[in-house]
Amino acid sequence: MRPSELYDRGAQPERTLLAWGRTCLASAVVLALVVKVLAVEADAAPILLTVTGLSLPVLAWLLALARYRRVHRELTGTGAASPRPGGGAAMTVATAAALLCGALALVLVVR
Amino acid sequence: MARDTGAGEPVDRRARFPRWVYGQGTEPDPRFTLANERTFLAWIRTSLALIAAGIGVHALHLQIPETLGDVAAIVLIVAGIGAAGQAFVGWARNERAMRQGRPLHGAVTASLLTVVVVLTTVLLALAVFVL
Repeated sequence: MRPSELYDRGAQPERTLLAWGRTCLASAVVLALVVKVLAVEADAAPILLTVTGLSLPVLAWLLALARYRRVHRELTGTGAASPRPGGGAAMTVATAAALLCGALALVLVVR
Repeated sequence: MARDTGAGEPVDRRARFPRWVYGQGTEPDPRFTLANERTFLAWIRTSLALIAAGIGVHALHLQIPETLGDVAAIVLIVAGIGAAGQAFVGWARNERAMRQGRPLHGAVTASLLTVVVVLTTVLLALAVFVL
């Protein structure tokens, strides 16, 4: 890859990727917290659901990483521009992870 | 299926999800798109913090009447779910507005959330330290 000109002094794509990292970590931690509390108080089904739900932050992180690479490529002009610009898939998965956390927490309290 | 945009670049619009956001308008400055994305992420973290706080109130067995603790936990968790909804809806609406060159929406949800969080915190603090 040839060296590219500095696109933006604000390091926007990097800051955004770091924000994704923080968010995915936080959502994994809260899901783990839900598992921990559920394990004390509830039966197997919600625990299984939560453990499965831990794949959501991982998926969101992978989507965000792919998004970062695409944005970086486009902004620095290295490689061909993608015919399919990034959409909202990563946002949808991250929202689903937070909603799952909320729903399971509600189950925990209301039950 | 590729269509020509104004700039003459073939862009596969149908592949972009959600269509409600990307179906019209032109690509905004990437910096604004990325800033909008970080605002979305900040809302998601707010949502997770509220949910964690709700679980905390429930799990820590504070020295307060049980009903009050449960209500506070439910209010915090529901606020967290609302924040997650605001994250996605706000992101989609702002991205759409930027694509169409229209003004962004106001911060009604943020004001509402502030009131809810302050009220819940004050009530919980009163219950813990006064009751």
